[in-house]
Amino acid sequence: MSSQGRVAARGFNPNDKKYIGGLLITPIQILLTALLVFPFVLELILSFSEWSPVQGIGLWEAVGAVFTEDLDQGINYSVLITEEPRFLEALGRTALISVTSLVLEFLIGLGLATIFLKAFPAKRVFFTALLTPMMIMPVVVGYTWFMLLQYTGPVNQVIGWIGGSQPELQWLNTGFLAFFAVVITEVWHWTPLFFLILLSGLNAVPQNPIRAATVLGASDWRIFWSVVMPSMKGIIIIAFVIRGMEVIKLFDEIYLLTRGGPGTATETISLYLYKLAFEDFRLAYAGSAGFIVLIITVVLINVMLRPIRYQLLEKR
Amino acid sequence: MPPKRFTWYNGIGLTLALIFALFPVLWMISTSFKPSNEWVRQPPVWVSGDATVENYLTVLWPSALLEKRGGLTQYTEGGEQKVAEQTGVGGAVGDILNKSAWQAIWGSVILSVFGTALSIIVGLMAAISIARYRFGGNTTPFFILSGRMFPPIAIAIPFVVMFSDVGATDTYWGLILAYGAVTVPFSTWMLKSFIDDLPKEIEEAAMMDGMSRWGAHLRITLPLIKGGVIATTLFIFILNWSEFLFALILAYTKVSTIPVQLSKYFSATEGLLIGVQAALATVSIVPLVIVGFFIQKHLVRGLTLGAIKR
Repeated sequence: MSSQGRVAARGFNPNDKKYIGGLLITPIQILLTALLVFPFVLELILSFSEWSPVQGIGLWEAVGAVFTEDLDQGINYSVLITEEPRFLEALGRTALISVTSLVLEFLIGLGLATIFLKAFPAKRVFFTALLTPMMIMPVVVGYTWFMLLQYTGPVNQVIGWIGGSQPELQWLNTGFLAFFAVVITEVWHWTPLFFLILLSGLNAVPQNPIRAATVLGASDWRIFWSVVMPSMKGIIIIAFVIRGMEVIKLFDEIYLLTRGGPGTATETISLYLYKLAFEDFRLAYAGSAGFIVLIITVVLINVMLRPIRYQLLEKR
Repeated sequence: MPPKRFTWYNGIGLTLALIFALFPVLWMISTSFKPSNEWVRQPPVWVSGDATVENYLTVLWPSALLEKRGGLTQYTEGGEQKVAEQTGVGGAVGDILNKSAWQAIWGSVILSVFGTALSIIVGLMAAISIARYRFGGNTTPFFILSGRMFPPIAIAIPFVVMFSDVGATDTYWGLILAYGAVTVPFSTWMLKSFIDDLPKEIEEAAMMDGMSRWGAHLRITLPLIKGGVIATTLFIFILNWSEFLFALILAYTKVSTIPVQLSKYFSATEGLLIGVQAALATVSIVPLVIVGFFIQKHLVRGLTLGAIKR
């Protein structure tokens, strides 16, 4: 008993609260320090160099490249912002694709969710079938739509049936259409998630205010906007933030669908960074672009998370 | 809202949604059974009149295909030239076809299984620490989450530098670490939400009866969130199975995965091997659809970081 007391006094009690909490969090801290914080710092260092793989791809060669003489350390950043518009264009394009897709996903998801509040036969089967796209991996999604949107593919054929003649739509080779191809693919893939989230939100809407409004003679439309939607606010924000976090990373689908083409018409920020680093091998330059993207996205997501921060942490 | 009547335009909307959701999948499955002359045709073939399993054989059992044809000629240059004598299916593309489909499938299985195991073990420890000890206050959970906030490609360059420095590129252990690190924010948050659901008082009661904290976690909490741990494991498995970018930049020849393989199927003479890709794609989504079906009711919780529990 006395030995146990002494151990506790020295702070080594394995049953101590702080000790356990700290011990359990250590593995994840090590993993994330090695594979998140360290790369982050390394990227910051690299971004101030003109290092290229020719100088050797080891850690020391890379870090050493910063200390080369006669080097204008800010050159990468100034070129990115002022001389090559491709970076800023890719940022803008990512925002445009994200917003367009999210709005469409929200509207379709909401429409479907309201239908699923009603009773109809084989509801369970319909429900499961509608979730299918969400289960399929992004690469396969990109590939499938690549097949569908071929010049000789079924999408053009169906449009031909409706329009009367075979349309000349080069979906993946025309800038404007390729943009829509990407949006359609993204909408197909992730509308089910919006549908699921919004349906669970609609199911949780309190019924008494609705009954009261009905008794008072409010129209369905009015009830929807003034009673249902306000109580859905939190869940809608969650849906947008969570999806927003993922959609700005959009890479896999486009890589298979258009590789950012034609030209740079569908080049999102992820695709731009990939091409810079692994096709043009401008590593230091890509590092500085990556660093800017990192800062922008982390700050943006944290701002977006603010309204739901405590909803995420709170215990229920 | 009180249940309203199901109207005819609801029916139309639902039907359109169903077609939109299922048609691409059905098209992919249909394409996987098409012979090569129907892959690209004007007008497109919806369901092949002479369906074949050759695409599947190319992916899963190339030697059987070789035997069946008496030497495979389709993917080689020089038309009808037979290549049965060669060990491979033939040509540079034959090499890819020959070894990589299984290499990619095994690669995906190994990386997904061990990456998921790493993610769950590390994530479970962190989740207990956060949910029960509030270790690091509100900062730590969001620090962990920050790993999912930026496009992974933004950090790919230092990753490649680090990995090649320690010889981790193109190795299973290197990619397992990467897969684990990428999914650990999701596993931590999802497991945390399951632990949060469980009243702390249950553990406190056990400790009152003389159980240690470790015992309370291992023998009380863990069995009670067993269902949650299984759901999280399957969810993380889906994420790892779908992971593309890290395998693309960190694996070259010795290690491959299905998504990388899918992006690489092409032949010098025939362009994209559309039917073969469709076959591999169909094979690769089977585990996802099955697993996804089983954890359907937990998908929202996982994807919303435990914010929505239904």
